[in-house]
Amino acid sequence: MVKKKVTVKNEAGLHARPSSVLVKTASKFDSDFYISMYGYKVNGKSILGVMTLAAESGAEMELIFDGPDEEEALKIISELFENKFQPN
Amino acid sequence: MVMRSRIELTGIPASRGIGLGNAYILEDNTEDVSPEKIQTNEVEGHLDRFRRSINYLREKFERLKKSESGEVAEILDAQIETLKDPELNKSIQHKIKNELYRSEYAIYSTFNEYIHVMENADSEWLNDRTIDLIAIRDQLIDIVRNRRRETEVTENSVIFASNISPTKMIELSRQNIAGVVMEKGGLTSHAVILSQSLDIPCVINVKWNRKKLLKGEEVFVDGDTGKVIIRPDERESRYYRDRKEEQERLYQESLKIIDQPSETRCGSPFHLQANVEFLEELPRIEKHGAHGVGLLRTETILFQKTGFDVEAQLKFYREVVQASGGSEVTIRLFDAGGDKLIGDSDLEANPFLGWRGIRMLLDRQDLLDNQLEAIYRLSGEFPGQIKMLVPMISCMSELNKLKKAAENIRTKLEKGSVNIDSELPIGIMIEVPSAALLAEQFAENVDFFSIGTNDLTQYTLAVDRGNERISDLFQPNHPAVWKLIQMTKVGADKHGVPVAVCGEMASKPKEAACLIGMGINSLSMTTSALPAVKAFLCDHTLDEMQLLADSVLSANSPLEAEKLLNQFV
Repeated sequence: MVKKKVTVKNEAGLHARPSSVLVKTASKFDSDFYISMYGYKVNGKSILGVMTLAAESGAEMELIFDGPDEEEALKIISELFENKFQPN
Repeated sequence: MVMRSRIELTGIPASRGIGLGNAYILEDNTEDVSPEKIQTNEVEGHLDRFRRSINYLREKFERLKKSESGEVAEILDAQIETLKDPELNKSIQHKIKNELYRSEYAIYSTFNEYIHVMENADSEWLNDRTIDLIAIRDQLIDIVRNRRRETEVTENSVIFASNISPTKMIELSRQNIAGVVMEKGGLTSHAVILSQSLDIPCVINVKWNRKKLLKGEEVFVDGDTGKVIIRPDERESRYYRDRKEEQERLYQESLKIIDQPSETRCGSPFHLQANVEFLEELPRIEKHGAHGVGLLRTETILFQKTGFDVEAQLKFYREVVQASGGSEVTIRLFDAGGDKLIGDSDLEANPFLGWRGIRMLLDRQDLLDNQLEAIYRLSGEFPGQIKMLVPMISCMSELNKLKKAAENIRTKLEKGSVNIDSELPIGIMIEVPSAALLAEQFAENVDFFSIGTNDLTQYTLAVDRGNERISDLFQPNHPAVWKLIQMTKVGADKHGVPVAVCGEMASKPKEAACLIGMGINSLSMTTSALPAVKAFLCDHTLDEMQLLADSVLSANSPLEAEKLLNQFV
């Protein structure tokens, strides 16, 4: 299991569009993926879960991966946060 | 045949443009689903029906997405991801398999759990997503029940609905609809965002009466003012037809002008800024060529429940300043009260003449101090870029008290070695006639004036602008209003104080030209009005506008002033 703390950097926060980019990317990996914020823990592959976090810009959260490709998933997903969910 | 009378309604303008067409009523599909149980041997069949309905809808959304790009495709993506949501699917299947509910109830109750969370979230955009989920829920249930609901919308329909889901909106846009009138729907709802990017005029928060509207009746929708007219008379309908053509032409023309300098045809510079209330409007500041924000409304912070402690405010203000790309931002102190009541106040008999603006702020020292602190802290981060605007000033003592409070906060912050802009300009709204009449005295004590023409009109003419019975008496072009604007300018000039107009008047090209002609060359308006105003001002000389101002100022009646403005081409 690997973990990393990240910050939401895009201005609008984790709204519908960034959420769908996030879960789409996460779903490509076999590892389980959870996001923990303010004591809530949601499935990072569930768009409804991610949206209901209502994470605004500046919000901090912990990404948790568990599975065969956890290292790579962590790398790719934290890059997404870093690039403000802009598709490359 | 019974002649049915004309009806005029007003709502919140949500997507610009004028729509003329025939009414089409989009009915709500929502119905209750009762918690019916199944036998264990029926589980497989219900699981299968559920999976097939998900796949069917997913394919439908994928097909819709094929020919779309940008914002529309992104919104569809979010709908598709919702159908794929593993937690949602797991919960529905669990309810069928383990709790032995029929598939329609499993769908219904699982979606409702999420809908409940979103409805009650402390975030407006999340509240606005509720309709997306309701629509997906109802479509899935329809498919499970093998029920088809086709809407036969014809070209040029004006859609009347309680609320519209994003996928429905996209389907509708393919039928070349003329406009949308919704009872609900927030400004950040997908339906509104889509209507903006699909260029469909849209008005929300309209209380339309199903019983008084027939399919096919002629309807006019004004997405700039929020006006909706059912069964306009012949003269009116011709007028709107002409206006629609004219507006389309002007808008296309004006988009070209955004990158040109803000100068009259003879080279005299003017200054156009944006009125801003919501974060969603920020991208349009630069896109529509505004040089900064001339009026930042801050009441929304209060009402959106994001909290109005110093940090929450600072965050909101920073985003606005950053979107203004180095230009000035004028922050108006909370203008709550009146029609926009804050939670703990009682209903007043005459709210517009009551406890609002500075009157409320001076009584609520906690609110005022927080806002002053946030603004001063911000000014330290962006020195020379921030201005403070005080609403509803009607006498000098209010201004003195406000300045004293500001002074106290400034001293407190300086003692704590917080960086601030100690030269932060403080200006007042001129919206009460007493302030316009005493402009010269006020000018001695402030750094700038900003004229709010809507309230100035309402207070000068004693016409409640929300009262439909006397709406024809609300005449911004009344000579008395123009005269007070002129007095304000003359009084300000005595002390070299700059004057801006941030009311609706500034957003109308001809009225804007008249203001420039009076020497008021700083105008702030809703972002959607910027291109047309700029195009019109660039196309005229200062001389022409001065002549217009002279003639309007000597008009004897509102009608005459309007005629003079209309003749100015």
